[in-house]
Parts: sequence; structure tokens; C-alpha cells
Amino acid sequence: MTGLVLLHALVAVLAPAVGARFGKRVFALTVIPSLATLVWLAVHLGDVLDGGAVTETYQWVPGLDLALSFRLDAFGALMVLLVSGIGALVVAYSAWYFPHRPDLGRFAMLLCGFSGAMLGLVLSDNILLIFVFWELTSITSYLLIGFDDTRESARKAALQAILITGAGGLAMLAGLVLIGQQSSGGTWSLDEIVHNAPSEGAVMSWAVVLVLAGAFTKSAQVPFHMWLPGAMAAPTPVSAYLHSATMVKAGVYLIARLAPAFADVGLWRELTAGVGVATMIWGAYRALRQHDLKLVLAFGTISQLGFLVALFGWGDSKLLFAGTAMLLAHAFFKAALFMIVGVIDHQAHSRDLRRLSGLGRRLPATAIIATLAAASMAGVPPLLGFMSKEAGFLGFADSLHSGADLVLAGLVVGSILTTAYTARFLWGAFAVKPGAEDPIGAEVDRPLPPLIIPAGLLAVASLVGGLYAPLADELVRPAAAALHEPAGEYHLHLWPGFTLPLLLSAVALMGGLALFALRRPVAALQRKVAVDNGADDAFFALYNATLRAAARITRIVQPGSLSFYLSAVLITFAVVPAIVMMGDWEVPDGAVWAESPFQAVIGVIVTVGAVGATLTRRRFAAVLTLGTVGYGVAMLFVVQGAPDLALTQFLIETVVLVLFLMVLRRLPERFAPRRTSSLRAAHALVALGVGAFVFAMALASLAARTERPLGHEMSEVAYAEGGGRNAVNVILADIRAFDTMGEIVVIAVAAIGTAALVRAGRARRDDEAVPDEIRAGVGVDDGGDGR
Amino acid sequence: MIAAGLSNLGVLAQIAEFTPLDTPEVQWAALLPLLILAGGGVVLLTVSSLVKAMAAPGVNAAATVLVGLASIIACVPVWQRVQDPERGPFTAVGGVIGIDGFSILATGLIAASVILAALLLDDYLRREDIDGVEMYALLLLSASGGVIMASANDLIVMFLGLEALSIAIYVMAAMHRRRIESQEAGFKYFIVGAFSSAFFLYGIAMVYGATGSTNLVEIATFLANNLLLRNGVLMLGMALLLVGFGFKVSAVPFQGWTPDVYQGAPTPVTAFMASAVKVAAFAGLIRVFYLALGTYSLDWKPAIYALAVLSMIIGATFAVVQTDVKRMMAYSSISHAGFVLVAVQAGTEKGVTAAIFYLTSYVFMVAGSFGVISLVGRRGDAAHSLDDYRGLSRSRPGLALAFTVFLLAQAGVPLTSGFVAKFNVIAAAVDARSFWLALIAMLASVIAAVLYLKIIVAMYLTGDDAEADDSVAGPKVSIPLPAAAAIGIAIVATLAIGVLPGYLFEVAGDAVPVLIALP
Repeated sequence: MTGLVLLHALVAVLAPAVGARFGKRVFALTVIPSLATLVWLAVHLGDVLDGGAVTETYQWVPGLDLALSFRLDAFGALMVLLVSGIGALVVAYSAWYFPHRPDLGRFAMLLCGFSGAMLGLVLSDNILLIFVFWELTSITSYLLIGFDDTRESARKAALQAILITGAGGLAMLAGLVLIGQQSSGGTWSLDEIVHNAPSEGAVMSWAVVLVLAGAFTKSAQVPFHMWLPGAMAAPTPVSAYLHSATMVKAGVYLIARLAPAFADVGLWRELTAGVGVATMIWGAYRALRQHDLKLVLAFGTISQLGFLVALFGWGDSKLLFAGTAMLLAHAFFKAALFMIVGVIDHQAHSRDLRRLSGLGRRLPATAIIATLAAASMAGVPPLLGFMSKEAGFLGFADSLHSGADLVLAGLVVGSILTTAYTARFLWGAFAVKPGAEDPIGAEVDRPLPPLIIPAGLLAVASLVGGLYAPLADELVRPAAAALHEPAGEYHLHLWPGFTLPLLLSAVALMGGLALFALRRPVAALQRKVAVDNGADDAFFALYNATLRAAARITRIVQPGSLSFYLSAVLITFAVVPAIVMMGDWEVPDGAVWAESPFQAVIGVIVTVGAVGATLTRRRFAAVLTLGTVGYGVAMLFVVQGAPDLALTQFLIETVVLVLFLMVLRRLPERFAPRRTSSLRAAHALVALGVGAFVFAMALASLAARTERPLGHEMSEVAYAEGGGRNAVNVILADIRAFDTMGEIVVIAVAAIGTAALVRAGRARRDDEAVPDEIRAGVGVDDGGDGR
Repeated sequence: MIAAGLSNLGVLAQIAEFTPLDTPEVQWAALLPLLILAGGGVVLLTVSSLVKAMAAPGVNAAATVLVGLASIIACVPVWQRVQDPERGPFTAVGGVIGIDGFSILATGLIAASVILAALLLDDYLRREDIDGVEMYALLLLSASGGVIMASANDLIVMFLGLEALSIAIYVMAAMHRRRIESQEAGFKYFIVGAFSSAFFLYGIAMVYGATGSTNLVEIATFLANNLLLRNGVLMLGMALLLVGFGFKVSAVPFQGWTPDVYQGAPTPVTAFMASAVKVAAFAGLIRVFYLALGTYSLDWKPAIYALAVLSMIIGATFAVVQTDVKRMMAYSSISHAGFVLVAVQAGTEKGVTAAIFYLTSYVFMVAGSFGVISLVGRRGDAAHSLDDYRGLSRSRPGLALAFTVFLLAQAGVPLTSGFVAKFNVIAAAVDARSFWLALIAMLASVIAAVLYLKIIVAMYLTGDDAEADDSVAGPKVSIPLPAAAAIGIAIVATLAIGVLPGYLFEVAGDAVPVLIALP
């Protein structure tokens, strides 16, 4: 299985080069992996349908339990059949659909890459691996939607699609991680998790919601459905393959796999049933409003996906069976219908059902195929779609869980609408419309047979599956059994007898046709009540609002002003520790404001100098008053009896002052005028606040002393062991010699940097401010460490 | 002369006999990677000033790359010695340097950043007329500072490393003399950095006051053996240390400088800042908080929790609205810092492993990203707006593809290193029962994904609705060989880690830091 996935990847890598050289023949290459997969499936099909499983495991990241572990069971086989079978047909169809264009190689690459990712997704047994492939399908889908990158609508739709599915994917990953961590034995194997469902609890209820969020976004459920109509910007083969038959089924697939184990956990059943039914009805309702045939199908797909979610999510064995049958039926008829739309687009160059008129007569073969597929979609006997729908109705009618009747009623309403839009689709595509403006139809050429054969095969499969029910049953029963043992005692029947489901089917068909017959009054009513692009508008409104809000906050928070950044930092510096300090603040014993009049006087001088430095507008004056502060502090050292410290401080102050003055020669005499008084007030407030905090912190630190000051010990050993009377020297040169050496290295770095800047700045003289600042900075650091 | 020298030696020997000095064991062999970087810087500067031939194009860059390689090679035997179960981690220079898997891996990563930055610088400096060897010498010295910081077993030594690292970078950021933004960046970074250093020093003083030591081992032992009835000073010290680290890793609310400085600095320097500085700063953070202050994790976890949430959300949100790619990456680096903080916040061995894994992956993806940005910036280092990337896939498909890989990796897409890195972090957070944090991390990834997609869309899906195809021919970017090599290395690492993460995972597991007391 690993080999098959790798084969897809390899062929995808080769495709662009081949496409550039051989044009359309690249599709002959990219169909190979799908065919190989089908052959491989045929070899194993017998075993698998008998209830066996093919497994394969390679360790990938042992520490993360991320193993390349694949497992093919009957349900997986059904999915592989869809992925590779429809994949092969779509590749064949693409070869005839596209005109010659230079980037077909890229298209073939993406399609093949998607195919491989989807194959990996349905074969993975490791839930993390599922996520890996899940995201890969999202990315390839994104690139395929945006394939016509010259159209803005396509780019927008692509972005929307990947944002929604990508976000959902990450939510799902969070959910899967929670499930994996909670599972007994910490296993990541899907099979083991389903068979030993983790215990219930608050965490699991959240996990379930997250996983469902992922599944709902991928399978375009309300309210995340809006990306799917947008995704119709992709070329039609992509719509047929990714956005109806396979990728959008990934969410359904995951729900189907997990439902037997999790249906009773948290809100699982309520969510799947509620969202599924709502999606089915809303999608079908919207389909009735569309004029583009492709959009009719897109909304139809949303509706059908809702149906599938409701069926699988319930978790009963009968409904799992019905869902499996429906999954198969839907893939057949919807892919066929998309291909038909592509054929019409290809021949008539329009998909507008108001203009197409009389195509049924011009293209009889196409019309017959379309009718077959559409009938299966509406649930007309004797087609596969009919039997699946019957099974679904029966399942809900027999279900013992509360609320099943409500769901059933919702499904019937959805089915009525389904019949109505199916009729609208057929009528829109093929009927003669006498009143049409600028009709298209009379001059349309017939398509080449290869273009309609793939759709024809799928439509015939719908018919054969219906007429020979046991044949479909052979595939569907084991597949459903693989999801949940034991499977319900139910088979696909062509003629179930006069039962409730049959009655409901009849109601759905009759009601739908009646609705179609009354299409004019219905359309008028819809125009009055409908919010057309509600979800789509909501998405872009949210998207734009987020961007606007972020832009506004950015303007406020990141104005590029250094003083603003520093204020933010200083406030954090003051406020956070202050909160910590608040509970534990005390003044040290014996604290006095000043021990001698000298200190008081110097203190006043220092304070006045500091205030003066902030008030003056002239640079020289500011530097000089700042110098007063420094010299004042040095004087304090002298009074305190530390002449060596005072000397150091005097030296540093003098050097810094001289440097400052040298720089100031080149700067304007006055500071730039301050902006507003409120800004000044704010700055003053910050300054006072930080000053008060530092003061309080200094007191608190003094009060916090519990042991003898280290200085005593150091001065004691200074002479005895270091042989020096100057304790500071001994500390620098002996006790913390390595630190001093480190400081010297730092100064060396700074010196080299300064030299470099001086050299670099020779061309422009005004750069000298920077090296001086750095030299000053080193001085501060040196002092900080030396003491 | 020689005779005098000999007699001097004799005198020294006599003195040594009289006063037996108890010098700590230095363990030169274990310090070799560090010494190669620091010595390489000094020697390069000296030789290049004296020897004319060194001025030839590419020689200095090649020498720097060789020094970086030598440092990485020197790490190998030390790593083997440390991983040898019989010998294990040890200390050097009297217990102030800890040699464990963590410090060696950090050294290797910083040396790798040096190599990548030097390769990017080579052409850049010539293009921008910033000749001279100083940039390379500063690069190496800064890296040695980072290594000291990552291996420090003592707060003072860590501070020295921080200073050596930072001062060199202040200058490097300001080296582009023709761009006023570059000088503004250097200045801003210097001012803010000086503040952060001051906070850090205050923090050291407070922690020292509370525990009576600056040695990480002794701090941890003290805290494990003593119950502090009044721990206000310790709390204050931890808060201030966190502020200092917060600056260096650019976590919100200390991120203010980051966008301006990242944008203004020469792009290869930005690459170095985003990779090596982050590694060194996080290494220091993990050493101090996880190892030394581990017993107080209940007190620091909430603070890191808050920093992580703010950084992830604000970094991602602000990044989305930028139109300048370099600035976008600056904001996204803030968001990445938040992710690493999520891992640190877990406070478990698993969390630290996740952080190491994340940082390792991040070094390559961010250096590669800025490498591409440096090339697209072209002469003048100014073409960084999103519009300058339109159509890059047509004019330079290889470069566009490389950038796409880096961006996808940053977004955390499977099969790139970013996915496994993010996954590790989330798993560690969930494991530590920080469910909400894990969810917020997911949300931030989604927001950040928009940003990376915006750039990818600009490069690939470029068509103009109204105009003809030739209007989006794309920028004409020249790709010099050394820069291509740097980007190539980064690509290979990013994809290799993404496809085969098992090896790095093991290495990261072996690199969890440990406390080593002096024997």
C-alpha cells in the first residue's frame, strides 16, 4: 500500500516534464497509478469481502507513534474503488475535455498527487497519518481550485476553500490528539481505537466536537458549506472527482469510521443529525435557486453530503449500511452528472440553464446518460439511489434512539427538494424553453464518444447496481460490516414490499415533482425570503473584519516609535513584579531617609538634576544636568566611605560626558518639539511610576536579606588567599576571574563592532552616535558586574 | 630574549611552588567548538587585516563557513562522550559551563546558522558595497556568545554570553550604511537590548539574593532543600529574568522592536538573528527555568502561559495585515516564539524535547526564508513588498518553490519539518493537560496559515484579470551560488526532518538538558 501511494507521488513528480514534452498524452501516464491500484484491489478483493484485512506497517517516527500503517478492509476497499475507479475515469475524461494548453502537465501532476493523498487517507490505519493525508488533499484541492490563476474569482475561492478546510483540519488534529491520548494504551491505530473506544468524559466530548468540526468543514456542512460552490471555479474534471466523488467524502468517511465507537459520546449524535439534516435541506433549497448547472450540482452535493452525515453519524448498524450504499450511489451519479455538465459546457460553451434550450434533441446520448444518473439522484426505482434511500428511511424508522422520527421527517423534506432540483437540472439542461432569451442549443455539435463514455459507465453502474441488487449487496454488506460488527440483517432490495419507506419515497418523488411544476410561484417566494449568499458573505465579512481589526491594532501597538516600545516594556517591568511584590513588601529595619545632612543635600541635588534633565529643551543642558546626577551619586559613595567606587564613578561620568559633548556638536541644539501635552503627561506618568517601583524594589531587596552579605566573606579571603589589600581588585582578578575574562571578550566584541561601524560610517558622518552609545553601554555593563 | 623568557618561566615555577593555586579544571577539549568560533572570529579579523589576499571576493565567507564547519565537527566527539552512558554530561571551567547534549546541540545549531548566514552574506555584502571582514568576525563572535549562553551553568556566565551575542548583533544590524532603516534598526535594538540586559542583571541579583548563588546547580539544590517562607525576592528575580529572556526571544509584550529591527537589518543578519539568537535565548530560558527553577514551575508556568498565548495570537494576527514580506516574517517569528513557549510551558521532558525539535526545525526554515527574501530584495535590500513577489514562480520557479516549502513548513504542513515540530508541541501541551493552550496554538496556526498562503498566492496565482499574461513576468532575481547553497541546505534539512523526523526526535530526546554538579 505504501508502494501504491509512493507510485502516485512518483508519477506526479514526473508529470510536469512529460506534460511539457508530450502534451495531452501525459494523462496516459497519470492514469497508470489508478489502474495499478485497481489491479491490486482486484487481487485482494476476495479476501477482504470475506471479512479479512490486509495490513502493512512501517515505523516512521517511533517517538511520536507516527507509523506508516495501512489497513485495507471492506469499507476501505469500497473507498479505494471510488478513488481509483472514478479517478481513472476522470483522467480519461480530462484527456478529451481540455483543449491543448501548456500547463496540462501541472494539472495532471496535481490530479495524480491528489489521487495518491486520497488513497492514503482511506487506507491509513493511524489517525495521525490520516491527518497528514487529509491536509495533503486540502492543499492539492486548493491548487486545483486556483488552477486558472488568472481569474480573481478562482484565487478567492481557492483561498476560501483552504482556509475553511485547513482550519477544520487543525481542529480535527486537536481532536484526534485528544482521542489518541485518552485511548486505552495510548494507541493511534484507528482500528484499535474504534474497537476499544476510550472512556467517556469531558475531554472526550470536546475531542468529538473537534473531530466533527474537521469532518464538517471538509464535507461542506452548514455553516461551513460556502467553500464548495466557490470551488466550482475549478475545471469540471476536478469538480467531478474532488468535489463530488472523493475529497468531500473524506469528512463522511471519518464520521463513518468513528461513529460506531463515538455515536453515544457527547454531542456526536445530536450534531451529526442536526447538521446533516440542516445541510441536506438548505443545500437542496439553494440548488433550486441556481442558474448555473454546475452550481445546481454543487448545492446538490452539499445536500447529499448532509444526507450521508446524518446516516453515518447516527451509528446504528442499519444506518451504516444505508450510508455505505448511499456513498456508493452518490459517487456514481454525481460524478456522472458533473461530467455531463462538463460535456455541455464543452459543446455549448455555456452552463446557464436559462439559455440552454433543446439540447436534449441535439445530444440524445448525453441526455439519456444524464437522465439515468439524475433518476438515481432523485431516488427513482430501479436505480441504486432509490435502494439506498429506502435503506436510510428504514433505518431511521426502526431506530430506537430518541429523535429518529424528527430526523426522518427532515430527510423526507430534503428528499422532496432533491427531486425538485433534479427535475430542474434535467429540464434546465435538456428541455426546449420557448421563452428563453438568446437560446443556445440548435447549433451545438455532438461530443466525441470518449467524452461521454466515462459518464455513461457510471450511469450504467447506477442502473446495474439497482437492477441486480445482489451484486451491489455483495460489496455494500461487507463494507458496512467492516465498520460495525455485526452488520444489521438487511439487504438491498429492489422491491421491499409495501412499507413505510416506500411510501416516503413516493411522497418524496411526488412532492418534488409538484414543487417543480409550481416552480414559478416557488421561485417568486424564494426571491422574497431567501438570503442568497448569507454564509459566503459572512465568511468574507469575518475575513475582512479580522484583517481590518488586526490592521487597526497594529497601527496602535506598532507605531515604530522607540519611546512607545520602551514605555510598553517599562510598564511591564514595573507592573508585573509590582504585583508579585505587593503581597510581600516590607521596609527594612532602621531605614531612614538620610543618615547625615550631607546625604540629604546630595540627594536633593541629584533629584533636581534628574528633574532638570527631563524638563530642559536643550541638549547641552540635558547632558550637563545628567552629569550632575552622576557626580551626585559619586559624592554619595564618598560620603558612604567608598572612595574607590566614587573614583570609578567619577571617571565613567567624565568619559561619558566628554563623549556626549563630542556627539552633541553635530546634533541640533534643541530637542525636536514634543507632540502633545497628553503624550508628555503619559510619559511623565510612566517615568514616575517606574521610578516609584524601582525605589520600592530597592527597599524590598534590602529587607529581604537573610544571610550575611557576601562582601564580608570576600573581603576576608581577599588578603588571605588572593594576596591583595584591594578587595575589589582581588574579586575582579581572582575570585571571579573567568567572568572578568568574559567581560573583556565582550568589550573586545564591542570594540570590533565600533571599529566596523566607524569604518562603515565614514561615508556619512552622522553615524557616530551609534558607536558612542555602544561604548557607553559597555561601561554600564562593566560597572554592573564589577560591583 | 629566549633566555630571559626561560628565566621568567623559572620564576613563575618557583612562585607556583610557594603558592599552590587551586585552579579549576577547564576541559579544553569540550570547549573546542566554542573556542573555534571565538578564536576563528579573532583570527579571521587579524589575518584579514594583515593579508591582502583575503580581500578577494568570497575568501572571508569561505573562511567563516570553514570555521562553522570545524565547530560542528568538533561537536561530534563531545556529543559522543556525553551520550556515552559510562561518562555522561560533565562541567567545564569550574562548574560554570555545562556540557550536555543540550548545549552541544545548541552549539551545532548556532554554528549551522553561522554557515547559512555567511553563505547569504557573501554576495549580499558585495552587492551592497559593505566590504570588509568585520561582518564575518562579528558573526563568529556573536555566535560564540550564543554558545556561551546556551551552555552556561551560571547566571553571570549566561549574562556574559548574552552580552557578547547582543553587542555584536547591534552592530551587524546597523552595518548597512546606505539604508537609514538599518541604522534605525541597530539603534532601536541597542536601546531596547540594553534595557533587557539591565532587567536580566536585576533578575540575577534578585535570584542570587533569594538563593545565595548564581550557579544553576546550587540554585536548584537550594530550592529543592529549602522551603522559602517568603519568596517575594525570588518571584521578583524570576519575573525579571523572564523579562530579559522575553526580549531576546521577542515574546509579546516585549516584541516591539522585532518588526522594525528585522525589517531594517541587512536580510542575512536578520536570518542570523531569527535563527541563532532565538536558539541561544531559548536555550538560556530552558536552562534557567526548566533546570534551575524547576521546583517553582507552578509559579513561572502561568507567566510563560500568558506570554505564549499573547505571542502566538498577536504575532499571527499582526503578520496577516502586513504587506512587506520581511515584516511578515518578523511577526511570524514572534508567533513561532509563542509556539516554543507552549512547549516550555509544559515543563516536562517531553515539552523540552518538543522545544528542541521545534528550534532545530525553525533554524533551517527561517534561515531559508530570509535567504529567499534576501535575494528577492535585490540591490538596495528594499524590494520586500508583496507586489515584488508577484510572478516569482514564472521568473524564478526554483526560488518560488523553495520559498513555498519554507512557508508551508512554517505553516506546519505535513511532510515538512514544521508539521512534526508543531505536532510535538501540541502533544506535549496536551500531555501536560494544557488543553486550552493547545487549542489556542491550533487557532494561531490557522491565522498564521493565512499569512503564508498570502505570499504563496502572490508568487503563484498571480494573474491579472484585465491585463495580458506578460504583465506578470515576475521579478528578475539573480541567484548567486553561495546563497543558492544556503537555501539548498535549508531545503534539504526542512524536508529531511519532515519526512524522516525519527532521527531528530531521538537526538532531541538525548539533548534534554541536565543539571551537572561539579564532581
